[in-house]
Amino acid sequence: MRTLAIVLGAVCAGGLVAVLVLGGSRSAAQTTKPVADSVRAAVITDTTSLSGPRQPIFFRHDIHAGQFKIPCQYCHYSVAVSSEPGIPSIQTCMGCHLAIAGSDSSAKTEIKKVRQAWSEKKPVEWVRVHYLARHAHFPHMRHIKVMGPNACATCHGDVSRMPQVFRVNNVNHMGFCISCHVERKVSRDCSVCHY
Amino acid sequence: MPDEAPSTIDRRKFLTVLGATGGGALALSGCSTDKVERLVPYLVQSEDQVPGVATWYASSCTECSTGCGVHVRTREGRAVKLEGNPEHPVNKGKLCSRGQAALQGLYNPGRIKGPMVRNPDGTFKLVTWDDAIGRLAAKVTGGKVAVISGAGAGTFSDLLAEWTTALGGRLVRWEPFGHEPFRAANKRVFGVDKLPAHDFAKARYIVSFGSDFLDTGLASIENQRGFAQSHGFAGGDVAKMVYAGPRMDLTGLNADEWLAIAPGTETALALAMASVVAGERGGAGALASVLAAHTPAAAAKETGIPAERIERIAREFAAAQPSLAVAGGIGAQHAGATELCAAVNILNYVAGNVGQTVDFAADLGSGDGYAALGELAAAIDGGQVGVLLVHDANPVYALPRTSRFADKLKKVPFKVSTSMFLDETSALCDLLLPHHHALERWDDSAPRAGVRGLMQPVMEPVFDTMAAGDVLLKVSQKAGGALARFNAPSYQAHLRAKWDALGAAQGEKDAEGFWHSALQRGGVFQAAAQAAPAAIALAADAGARYAAPAFEGQGDFVLAPYPHSLLYDGRGANKPWLLENADPVTKITWHSWVEISPETAASLDVRDGEILRIVSAHGSIEAPAYVYMGLHPGVVAVPLGLGHTAYGAFAEGRGVNALDLLGAPAGDFVSYLSTRVTLEKTGKYRKLASIAGVPRQLGRGIAEAMPLAAAKKGLTVKEAYLEEGHGEHELNTEREVVALKGWSEAQHQATKFGNYAGDHPQWGMSIDLSRCTGCQACVTACYAENNIPTVGEAEILRGRELTWMRIERYWEGGEKPGEPVSARFVPMLCQHCANAPCEPVCPVYAAYHTPDGLNGQVYNRCVGTRYCANNCPYKVRYFNWYKYNLMAWPSPLNLQLNPDVTVRARGVMEKCTFCIQRIRGAQNQARLEDRPVRDGEFTTACAQACPSDAIVFGDVNDPESRVVAAKRNARGYHVLEETNVRPAVTYLAKVLHSVEG
Repeated sequence: MRTLAIVLGAVCAGGLVAVLVLGGSRSAAQTTKPVADSVRAAVITDTTSLSGPRQPIFFRHDIHAGQFKIPCQYCHYSVAVSSEPGIPSIQTCMGCHLAIAGSDSSAKTEIKKVRQAWSEKKPVEWVRVHYLARHAHFPHMRHIKVMGPNACATCHGDVSRMPQVFRVNNVNHMGFCISCHVERKVSRDCSVCHY
Repeated sequence: MPDEAPSTIDRRKFLTVLGATGGGALALSGCSTDKVERLVPYLVQSEDQVPGVATWYASSCTECSTGCGVHVRTREGRAVKLEGNPEHPVNKGKLCSRGQAALQGLYNPGRIKGPMVRNPDGTFKLVTWDDAIGRLAAKVTGGKVAVISGAGAGTFSDLLAEWTTALGGRLVRWEPFGHEPFRAANKRVFGVDKLPAHDFAKARYIVSFGSDFLDTGLASIENQRGFAQSHGFAGGDVAKMVYAGPRMDLTGLNADEWLAIAPGTETALALAMASVVAGERGGAGALASVLAAHTPAAAAKETGIPAERIERIAREFAAAQPSLAVAGGIGAQHAGATELCAAVNILNYVAGNVGQTVDFAADLGSGDGYAALGELAAAIDGGQVGVLLVHDANPVYALPRTSRFADKLKKVPFKVSTSMFLDETSALCDLLLPHHHALERWDDSAPRAGVRGLMQPVMEPVFDTMAAGDVLLKVSQKAGGALARFNAPSYQAHLRAKWDALGAAQGEKDAEGFWHSALQRGGVFQAAAQAAPAAIALAADAGARYAAPAFEGQGDFVLAPYPHSLLYDGRGANKPWLLENADPVTKITWHSWVEISPETAASLDVRDGEILRIVSAHGSIEAPAYVYMGLHPGVVAVPLGLGHTAYGAFAEGRGVNALDLLGAPAGDFVSYLSTRVTLEKTGKYRKLASIAGVPRQLGRGIAEAMPLAAAKKGLTVKEAYLEEGHGEHELNTEREVVALKGWSEAQHQATKFGNYAGDHPQWGMSIDLSRCTGCQACVTACYAENNIPTVGEAEILRGRELTWMRIERYWEGGEKPGEPVSARFVPMLCQHCANAPCEPVCPVYAAYHTPDGLNGQVYNRCVGTRYCANNCPYKVRYFNWYKYNLMAWPSPLNLQLNPDVTVRARGVMEKCTFCIQRIRGAQNQARLEDRPVRDGEFTTACAQACPSDAIVFGDVNDPESRVVAAKRNARGYHVLEETNVRPAVTYLAKVLHSVEG
């Protein structure tokens, strides 16, 4: 397993920031520039107007990936080596949240749920947002290899600005795949994905 | 759609909703309120599992006592495929059908869910493990303990023996079709109480006395590998094989000559041959005078084979150096079996094969034999058994009913079973302590000298089971007393201690390193110390005797029950792969049958499928007839393995058990070939669930063969025919030549456009029919790799079998009385034609040609017109008629599915894809590593499994690839070449010895 060093450092107004330094061979590709400039994620009090399905924990990609610029592959670690991107284990969450308890009451409540899941040994059951039909095979690693570690947004949208993840593109529309394949002059053969 | 969508929304509703929201931020989960897909992450990510990437573990196979090494492919913590371990000296990377089907034992819905005790009314109730172990611990200290276990040797077997001894009990290691006659004969002839390994690779002339060494015999994978080396054509001479026995089994069908001898007379033949060989070679010493009495003429009278033929074969046998004679099968399971094994030993000895092709150093393990079981039964009768533990054995099913073993078992006050399944024996027990499956536990095996296989759990147990080793230890700790010394904290710790000791004995200083290397490699393998051939000498009384066979009862026919090729002694009858995969000889699936010879069929006026009643002095069974040319007229043959009364939903009530016809066994082994029977017509009929198709080639040139002389000259199939004096077929007439030219120009043009432009690999395959034995390991591998559903007996009867790969078997000869009969096997799969007839007829472009030379089949485009299958000259496209995907894998059998392959649903045409998921997997990996795909880096499941390496797969555009080398062979031909479909599969013609009368 990769080794990782977590350096707890700089304090932003009202909150802890984890600056994560990644080690190990798999993270070599993660030296590219961050997705967005440092932005402070908004405090959200009303979640009813947010797009996308409600998750058991109000996990905010806009805080983790946007404000704190944690690279996608820190959590979705297998995306560069496997067809599956990997949903982070609760242990990965606890790597930081053992120390980070949250700044405001809403964050504190949600982080408490992670800690509870950890202590009760009951993994969080996330609601699936992107579902690819099972007769299509999408090797994530090949796309990351060609398009770089920050290519995720191409299909998933700019998750780093989403308080709650919603579907930007319908990945089950084959036209969505094909238009990209045509543009990039890569194979449009059926059996590349369908078998 | 090829898969059941998880949401209840249909396509039309989906589009409506999509329109309403403008196709914007629409979450799929938002469409459906009742079915929301959940993503459940790991709590702690396992270090050796990456989602989407397979993890492989090395382990050992426990499906028979051969002890092959396996590699287990796991995905997301579940075993999904079994393959051979290439490092293992016995099977070298190959695995038979039965071994591969171990997966269906692991996920079998008939497994016992947890420890159970019997209620007074005969049902069982689940209890806790603490309770169950307490119950056993309370009983064992009372003494009078007996244990019946399987024959597999290893640390558990040793522990069980010590444990039983500590309790003052008796242990019987027993399995059906044991090797007791061989051991007895080896002791008598050579004074060695061992089972030898046979080197088929070295042998130049092989005579099998009823031994099915390629299929149901011990170490069949090893034998197939050796046989392919000596009997497969590689430019030079090939070994010749003669099969002597009343019934041609799969080995017989691979022989160059079949001697249809009278049942039970193999010994006479072996001794006559030994007598001739001794005369030719000398060196028989005192034996020569004994052998002199056994003349070919005398043997001819017994066997029904002309003396000249016996003499010719004996001379050929003597001239070939080294040669090899093997005994086995039902010939070695009748009253004169020990004499037969002794005679074969003598034959090998006088021909100078001992130490050459017969290797006593290997010392293959075996059990205690039936005699020990008989003694135990007597002890039960005498009230000397208070507690009986049955482990890895099913004697109630596997012994003839006349032995009344079930009644004897009922007399034991407390019976315990560790069986994983509620089989006939465990159903009678009082306490069930279900064992872990081999893929769920720590264990090892010691199948032969110098080979220790290690087993490790590759996944979490499917049910609440416990390794029998842990049960023994926990019971010991609870019971104390004599058992107190079994104080290892767990069976894993006990095993580790034994392996540390093994490492120390082998001079390893680093115990940790030894253990980890053994775990990685699947065990420790040393070349067995070379036996000094001088040590093997003929005993004073070598026992060259022959007594005419005596059969019990009255009747015109001798009953020959034989182990089923796939179900073996019945242990495979709960695995749908083994039931649906056809018997390699008769091609019958799912049910029992009785084989009768054409002569018998004519005299009784019986046709295939007529139900016959077979009556012996001990009982009667009814089974549909199968008229089989490879049978001595005086014999009727019935496969064993079916007719279960328990053993799970797949096995129960299916077929009949031929053991019901046998008398109670006496002596060292169950005498299967012992009874005379009569046949009665019942007037009833059933259609045979056979996938055989047309039994003969009818001049279509599907399974080509050429004489050895022609093959040695490097002739093509066509040239060989011309040399034999056949006229040339008029094929490419002028018009056809023009058409072909036009076609090839069009093809050339087509490769310039779109996806087809540029360089692509062209996947191709070559299948060497001189190596293929028809064993069907490839078929099972295909089922496992490609999520092929088993459709069941009723569907097969409608001709709806769904087997992407099948072995076609065509009869040759045997049409007139006395004409020799033989068979040819052709593995038939999608030929991936370059000019495929299936492609242009598809109205929706579901069948199309991929740039890398495959006939693609896009399930999600397919609307099920079946035009493609109608237009396929090879009949390799199969239609998914029903929701087989919901029927074929009752939970938890669905856990075996390969996540890389779409599970097809109703209404879709499907067929061989050349394992496209493996091709894409290798291409993805190569792309990650910025390199081209290397030849041999991956192969199809069938090529991987083939024990005789008949199948080679690769890129035809790579001039260095192995498949190109194989396809260059002069023997290469395409099936139905005249249709100009340009198949990607090249067959290499079988090579035949010219056979004299």
